[in-house]
Amino acid sequence: MPLSEPITPGVVDWTGENPGILLKNDDGSFAAMALFFRVAWSPVGQGQVLLLYGTPGKAEADDGAPNILLSDNAELSHYLLDNFIGKLGAFRDSPAFENLIHVVAQSTRSSGDPMGHRYTETVAGEGYSVELVWEDLEAPRALELTPDQVGTGEHTMFTLLVPAQKAQIIVNGKSLPGAVGTRVQAGMETTSAFLYFSETWVIPPAASA
Amino acid sequence: MTRVSINPGQVDWSGENPGIYLKNDAADVDYSVLSLFFRVALSPYGRGNAAIVLAAPDVASGWPEVTNFIMTDNQRMMRWIVDGWVTKMPTFIGKAGLGAMTWLDLDSVHRNPGDLKSEYRETLRGSGVTLDMIWQDMGPPIPVEVTKENSATRAHEMYSVFLEAKAASIVVNGSPLPGSVQSRQFFGRTMSTAFLAFSETWVTPVS
Repeated sequence: MPLSEPITPGVVDWTGENPGILLKNDDGSFAAMALFFRVAWSPVGQGQVLLLYGTPGKAEADDGAPNILLSDNAELSHYLLDNFIGKLGAFRDSPAFENLIHVVAQSTRSSGDPMGHRYTETVAGEGYSVELVWEDLEAPRALELTPDQVGTGEHTMFTLLVPAQKAQIIVNGKSLPGAVGTRVQAGMETTSAFLYFSETWVIPPAASA
Repeated sequence: MTRVSINPGQVDWSGENPGIYLKNDAADVDYSVLSLFFRVALSPYGRGNAAIVLAAPDVASGWPEVTNFIMTDNQRMMRWIVDGWVTKMPTFIGKAGLGAMTWLDLDSVHRNPGDLKSEYRETLRGSGVTLDMIWQDMGPPIPVEVTKENSATRAHEMYSVFLEAKAASIVVNGSPLPGSVQSRQFFGRTMSTAFLAFSETWVTPVS
């Protein structure tokens, strides 16, 4: 698509940060999945949301591996579930999706350096403390993807990808099982642990008309 | 230029970069106040926050003689951004106040986003200064992507999400700085001189 117009046509759905960790079992199935959202703009305001599938393959989570949605903006968590997470096949098709426990987040904190070795996000509330840890970070890359290249199949998306070679999901001090795997994004092989900064989801004109 | 999925350029920094430019009179050529806020999520010099306020842009003096200062919690990062970006922006080129501004330590930043429509505020404190940057009456978010030929620095590609603010004010230690928001030509449109800028990424293109 030629870049002749500095203003991208379409309607902004939301913008912010959206890092994640997808840990896999030896057979390739998901052992644990987490997506974190730090939303700078959405139609329902700013906020921070952590989606955790501690037990992705079961509607009833195992002890110590909850399936929860931790958020400091309940309206935003519902907006993302309906308009975004529910359109991502890997999350929508998981048994955990239908039985998520909504939890109020009382604190969120990031630490480390995304252009250094290690970066973390920690979200806590109502007896849960979840720490996401990314290590062995690669150099950032700016991506601009078309609807056929994104998980929702509906958006144009701008983002800044920082792949991580190692990652952990730690729930109340205990690391969930599973290992970082590989995935392909826009024809590029990358890892299943990633930081995404300055990410913007735009509904193209044909879809937003 | 054609959009490419994976930009081959080098990512420089990314974060939030809203601004407020005020004039005493709509007919004035020069701005009375230039201000930018930075919430940097990623850079080669780490993360950090900053605000630049030049209330005497053409005066080669700093705070407290005149209200020309920068507050930051990451001075090394901001030296790099001021040198590589701010000094190249048309609004700041040749402004004596930019070189003479006083560098102040920043102790805290507090954001009050409201509903993202009526009022958005950043409050910074440090070195005896409390700075409030206030944007009001925001429009819808506008995604922008510019080539180096069209970017403010003429050297970088830039992605961002802009929200135009129809009104804005800058308050230093309880006193509002003079001037009001005006309109300017920006991205081929008539837009306000006050804007929020989220998810902003600067990339040095491959030569």
